[in-house]
Amino acid sequence: MDDLKEELKRQLIEQLNLEEITPADIDDDTLLFSDKGLGLDSIDALELIVLLEKYHGIQVTKPEEGKEVFRSVNSMAEYILKRKG
Amino acid sequence: MKFITAYAHLKENICAVNGEMICRRDKDSGDSWFKQIYKQQEFVYPKFHKMDVLSQAGFLTSKLIKRANPQFAEKYKDDEIAMLFANQSGSAETDQKFVHAYRNGAPSPSLFVYTLPNIVMGEIAILNKWYGESLFAVLPEFDPEFYINHCHILLSAGSEAVLCSWLEIAGNQIDVFTFLIEKEGENRSEFTADNLSKIAFAGNLHKTEINANY
Amino acid sequence: MTYIGAELMISPLGKTTEENRTAMTANRSGISLIADAGFDHQNLFLSKMTDLDGPGKFTRLIIQAVEAIRNEMDDAVLLSERTIFVISSTKGDPEQINDPFNAPVSAVQQKFNLANRPLVISSACISGIVAINTAHHLIHAKLYDHAVVIGCDVLSDFVVYGFQSLFAIGDTPCKPFDAARNGISIGEGCGAVVISASENIFKNAPLQLLAGTTANDANHISGPSRTGEGLFRSVKKTMEKNGIAADELDFISAHGTATVFNDEMESIAFDRLGMSTIPLNSLKGYFGHTLGAAGIIETAASMQMIRNGILFKSLGFQEQGTSKALNIVSGNTVANPETILKTASGFGGGNASLILRSL
Repeated sequence: MDDLKEELKRQLIEQLNLEEITPADIDDDTLLFSDKGLGLDSIDALELIVLLEKYHGIQVTKPEEGKEVFRSVNSMAEYILKRKG
Repeated sequence: MKFITAYAHLKENICAVNGEMICRRDKDSGDSWFKQIYKQQEFVYPKFHKMDVLSQAGFLTSKLIKRANPQFAEKYKDDEIAMLFANQSGSAETDQKFVHAYRNGAPSPSLFVYTLPNIVMGEIAILNKWYGESLFAVLPEFDPEFYINHCHILLSAGSEAVLCSWLEIAGNQIDVFTFLIEKEGENRSEFTADNLSKIAFAGNLHKTEINANY
Repeated sequence: MTYIGAELMISPLGKTTEENRTAMTANRSGISLIADAGFDHQNLFLSKMTDLDGPGKFTRLIIQAVEAIRNEMDDAVLLSERTIFVISSTKGDPEQINDPFNAPVSAVQQKFNLANRPLVISSACISGIVAINTAHHLIHAKLYDHAVVIGCDVLSDFVVYGFQSLFAIGDTPCKPFDAARNGISIGEGCGAVVISASENIFKNAPLQLLAGTTANDANHISGPSRTGEGLFRSVKKTMEKNGIAADELDFISAHGTATVFNDEMESIAFDRLGMSTIPLNSLKGYFGHTLGAAGIIETAASMQMIRNGILFKSLGFQEQGTSKALNIVSGNTVANPETILKTASGFGGGNASLILRSL
């Protein structure tokens, strides 16, 4: 689980071009879409759907599903494990 | 009367403001050329890294023009600064990246949103909270008359200043010339086709010179 | 005064203005289910000209448009040095991805031996309205006397896959402003209008074109403003510039793409403008979203509404689906609209508007 989270942080940075951020800057429970967290926007959310398919083979067909899933690295990791479970 | 009150050139290897070189490309750097300028000028705008090359070029040159003319943004209301941009190949550079992405994987939403040439004006509007007029045209080449005619139209219809840009980026070729037109400008060049050509061309001379030195 | 006439629509609904008007009068849609159109070979609802195939379709459509409108005006205007062609397109020729505009524009200029190089406007989905406004300004400034304004965009994998990646394509034919709307139907087509300082170059009496404006949202490059700020500002400026009050407008031809956020944004802007009781439609239910052609095709259709005394039903709309109520035309209505506001909004935060008026 921890490996998956670290992997996700690296993938987030790469997929979203978060060049001024390192994995160490992202906590497992950092809110991805809050301005107090990473401050991602609606296009980033769609790019995270691409990330899930590209790196984890998981298809999200409705962007609304992403809302809960993409809350934090924790919630993303849980979702991936559940879908792969 | 109208005046060219500030301008910036961004070429393959140099970046200059009002004719003065402020940054020269470090070929050994691991950073992209535009990122080198961003870092060297100590700009802080994390969104910069998500932008395509056209938007990055527009961001950098408009920021540099503002820095050279610090009072300019405060002089006008939020809808009095118009944008008049043009180039030769639209968003072709990013279009090709998008095609590459969907042929080799999946269509990328963050690339797709930059596959329109006018997005750079949107980015500059967001950055500055400008709500003014904007126009993006595709021309066969840089044409001073185009800017003269459309600035005349904009400045006689409510706009007080026009941020103009020619921004053509194709692969390694970079030809970006951004300039500001205002109704008043002490000791600045009058906005005529001749003066505009001269200033635009000065950037090219600069380029040749720099290239010769390599 | 600036005149606008010789309007033309080429779409899946027909190759002439008359064919398009007949289809709209019958509330027929150009949108159909196209097999294997999506990135994962999905069937998608698109407004596709199924007989438009083969290479160079972008250029061919524009040439077809020029040939049609030259019959609607004084022949000398086409070749006059005082005439400028303005071409509105978001993507140009999708087959020439390195340089999508210059070859088609040169081809059109050479084919008709035009005196001036056509001007290409590419400002996303507001391009058509911006092109008409630009033509108006060029004539008003006496730089030219006449302008032929052509909007054209053709379907391509590029555009379809792109909108799919944004989850912006609806799973039914688009339903602008409806409660059940869930995305756009992309379309292709070509529209044209002729704008002139002179009333007598037109075969059929023209209408009046009032100067329009643009305004940016300064909010997000792909998401509509939550407050409708740019659309509000553009319409307000256009109205003030022409000294027209909201109660003088008989109709609004809105943008209405049928995405959840766009239509909501428009409802907020029109509410803020005090325009929520003015009859309004979106024509996307007939033509789909034809991107750079949309503003011109929809202006042409609005001109047909004035000429024929009819308000076309907002196809696809059944039930109010925006937080602010709008007076959406739910069936063809016999009326005599004299003054119509046309708006558009698009990526890059752009918003544009113009006003058409009967003489």
